[in-house]
This record gives sequence, structure tokens and C-alpha cells, in this order.
Amino acid sequence: MPEPVRHPSSYRDPSGFIFQVEGIYYRQINQSYAADYSLLMGSGLYDTLVKKGLLIAHQELPGHPPISANADQRYKTLLPAQLSTISYPYEWGFEQLRDAALLTLEIMNEAILHGMILKDATPFNIQFEEGKPVFIDTLSFEKYDPSLPWIAYRQFCECFLFPLYLEHYCGMEQRKIQTAWPDGISASLTARLLPWKTRLSFGALLHVHLQNKVSGKDERKVVFSRQKLLNILQHLESIIRGLHTSAANLSTWNNYYQATILSQSYLHEKEKLFRDYLDGLVFHTALDLGANDGYFSQILSERKDAFILAVDADTICIDRLYRTVREKQIRNILPLCIGILHPSPAIGFRNRERASFHDRVQTELVVALAVLHHLVLNGNIPLHDIAGYMAELTARLLVIEFVPLVDLKAQELIRHRSSHHPYDTHSFEQHFQEYFSIEKKSVVPGTERVLYLMRKKIASP
Amino acid sequence: MIGRLLLYIDPGSGSYLIQMIIAAVLGAAFFFRNLWWKFRSLFSKKKAPPQKNDNKNA
Repeated sequence: MPEPVRHPSSYRDPSGFIFQVEGIYYRQINQSYAADYSLLMGSGLYDTLVKKGLLIAHQELPGHPPISANADQRYKTLLPAQLSTISYPYEWGFEQLRDAALLTLEIMNEAILHGMILKDATPFNIQFEEGKPVFIDTLSFEKYDPSLPWIAYRQFCECFLFPLYLEHYCGMEQRKIQTAWPDGISASLTARLLPWKTRLSFGALLHVHLQNKVSGKDERKVVFSRQKLLNILQHLESIIRGLHTSAANLSTWNNYYQATILSQSYLHEKEKLFRDYLDGLVFHTALDLGANDGYFSQILSERKDAFILAVDADTICIDRLYRTVREKQIRNILPLCIGILHPSPAIGFRNRERASFHDRVQTELVVALAVLHHLVLNGNIPLHDIAGYMAELTARLLVIEFVPLVDLKAQELIRHRSSHHPYDTHSFEQHFQEYFSIEKKSVVPGTERVLYLMRKKIASP
Repeated sequence: MIGRLLLYIDPGSGSYLIQMIIAAVLGAAFFFRNLWWKFRSLFSKKKAPPQKNDNKNA
């Protein structure tokens, strides 16, 4: 049997850890967490949270389950429901972080009713599954002592509330704050960044400015109660529900399909071709690069057995798509804010804790519609490099749109440029045919744009 | 790095005093809000909106 491999991000909590055997993830619970785990299961909290879809379900493995290297500390081994993919808060839009924050508060309220509490509050404990956030850390619950405040209050503020405030008031994208401060942004820095008028806001005054003033002061005499904590949770929830992104004004792609010169007939013709290409293709995973508001991701998602990763560098587009996914209850699209020119790197301890975007993507079909001209003319990436990159991303299939130089959108990109890498149909086909064979090729009627269906060549040994 | 690991063990260190202050402020705010709603309800048929956490277990 292959050796179990401990997940590189699962080292902090002494209560247990995640390990992997043959592509299946397991969770070991250590003896030190036995009492809290029994309370989680025995109090009815686990059942309630799983029934509401708030917590990841698991099954206990009796007998002789796979065992990790730290078997002497083992209390139980769990088989959690397996996730479609892993995403990180620095890849989420504003609304995704807001929903993750509200989920954390809802779980806290439910936990308190069952005599438990969350011992930490980090967005890394949350993943998006079937269109909505779900809490994945079964070991975050501990017995509640009503005489104490919430141990994870500051962490909740630094990882959820402050980034949301900064995007709401300053238009700073929360995901960029999470990139710069993956363990949370401090109250002192948040207080300096927020505009002066936030001192007149009851919520920001208490949770940011006052917290900044009193942090580090003497805390020996603590008097607290359950009702006090419930009041704070209710207050946090009402604040967070009232926050909205103000980054909308800064978006490049806002209403791209609705408001640009690209007409409805172009979209309609492209959709017809796209559907024709998909017809007969077999795929279970697809990556929509430069998904914009997800028009084509939604067409892909009509394959109910396929999982669609829709990525775009623009947070407003991703927020809009996430809202659509939530409202239409589309279960198989995950929208993420990822730019092709700056995809998420590997970060954390030994650069292994949080994998890079490319190390997490395994897809059978890549869809790149109206993206190529941006990569070449704006990003200055040679066609040959893009062809190699697409071949790295997809296991088999590629649907790609070529927007020629005569196209108005391409003209806009080169208007102020004296030179750019070669960009014409012949070079495009030549470079891509090094890695792919062209199966279908059609001009989108009414335009000069060309849609291709390509199949990856099997590398010769 | 060690500092961050310790933070994980006690992510709330330094936040107890602020929670006590906020709880006191909110307690007073909720008390006066409820009082205001009761006062208003004397003069109108409209009922005060229910608050899920208010003073059930104070």
C-alpha cells in the first residue's frame, strides 16, 4: 500500500491532521481532541450543521483504516466528503468572502446553542462546494465556557471583517489584502487605511478604531456571558450584511457583454458554434479562462456531471458570476478571481502550504474565448509560449477564439504601441499545431473572429 | 514564523478587553432600542421587529 502523505497545510492544529492515500483525503483525530470530538458528535451539533449544509460531512472508519505516520496519537480516522477543488480567500470575490464570514457566524451561533464554540476563525477553513461555502475543519470546535469572550474574535476581524471594510470603504479588493496578509490585516493598519468618516460609523468605530486603541491593554479581570457573545455575533452579522464592494467603479470588464460594441448577434452566433463544438465532446472538468460574467461557463455547466472552474482577473465579473451561481443554484461552477498573467503562487511554510493555481488545476477542457489577443498584445506573451501554456493546462481539449488584428478590440490594444509580437492566423495555427491538432475551425458570422476546437497531441516518448 | 504559530494557539490574545467593552456598549444600545420600540408601540399598532438574540439569557 502506498505511504500516507500528510497534507502540507495541515500542521498547525495539534488536534489532528489531513493525510492522503492514493488520491483520497482522510482526517486523523488525535487523542488530545477526543473529548471535544465526542461533544461535537454527541451534542447533535454535527448533525445539525451537516443537515443545514454548513459543515463538511464525514464518516468514521472503523477497523483498520489507512494510518498515518503519527499513529500513536490516533483517536479516530475520518473519511470526509471529498472536495471538487481547493480555492483560497485571495482568489475569492467580495461576496464570496462575505458569505464565508456569514457562514462562520451562523456556525458560531449554532455551536453556542450546543455548548460549543469555534476556536479559530480563518477563511482557510472554508471551501466553496456546489455553489456555496462550506466549513471544512471538523477540529475547529471546542467546549464553550460562557464566562470567556470569543477566543477567535480578533482573528475573525483580521481575516474577514477588516478586508470587507477596506473593500467597502476604500475599494481595495479584499483578495489583494488576503494576498498581502494571508494571516489577516491588523486593526492598527486597518484604522489607518479607513477614511476618517468611519469613526462616525457605529460598527467601524467599535470593531476597528476602538479595538486599535485598547489592544494589548491589561485583560486580567474578564467578566463575560453567553448573551454578551450573542450580541456581538448579531452585531457583526448586521454589519457584514450591510457591506458592499465599492470596487465596481474601477472594473475594466464591467458589462463587457452588455455594454460594449459586441452585439447580441455576435454573442448568439458564437454561442451556436460553441454549442456545436461541445456536442459530442466528453469531459468532466472544464476551465473557462477569462470567463467574464460566465455566459459560456453557464453553457458548460449544463453538463450536470461536469465541474466548471470559471476564472477571471476582474473581481466584479467574478462577483457577478458568483451571485448568478448562488441565485440560480448552479452547483457545478466555481468562480475565482485569477489573472492568467498573475496566477496564485505557492505560499506558506516551505512554499507548500497553499499550492499554486497551476498545481491545483487538472482539467480535460480549456475554454479561452476572446482572451488570446489580450495575452499577446497586452501581456506581451509570444504565441508560442501561450500554446505551450494551454497544453500544460488542458489534459485533452481546447476551445479557443482567435481575435485578429483587424478586429476593433485588437486595434484598441495596439493603438499606442509601436511594436508587438507576431500575431496573425498563420503564426497562431503554426504554433498551436506544435501541441494540438485542429479539429474544427469556423469564422463567427458577422465578424473576423475564428473559433477553434483543438485536441492535444499525445507527447511522443 | 514562531510568532505566527503562537498566534494560532491563541488567536484571541489581546481581544478580551475590547469584547468586554463592545458587549457593554451593545448591551446599553439594545436596552435603549428595546425601550424606544416599547415606547413607540404605545402609540402605533405596528409591532417592534423581533430580534433573535435579544436578552433571552441575559
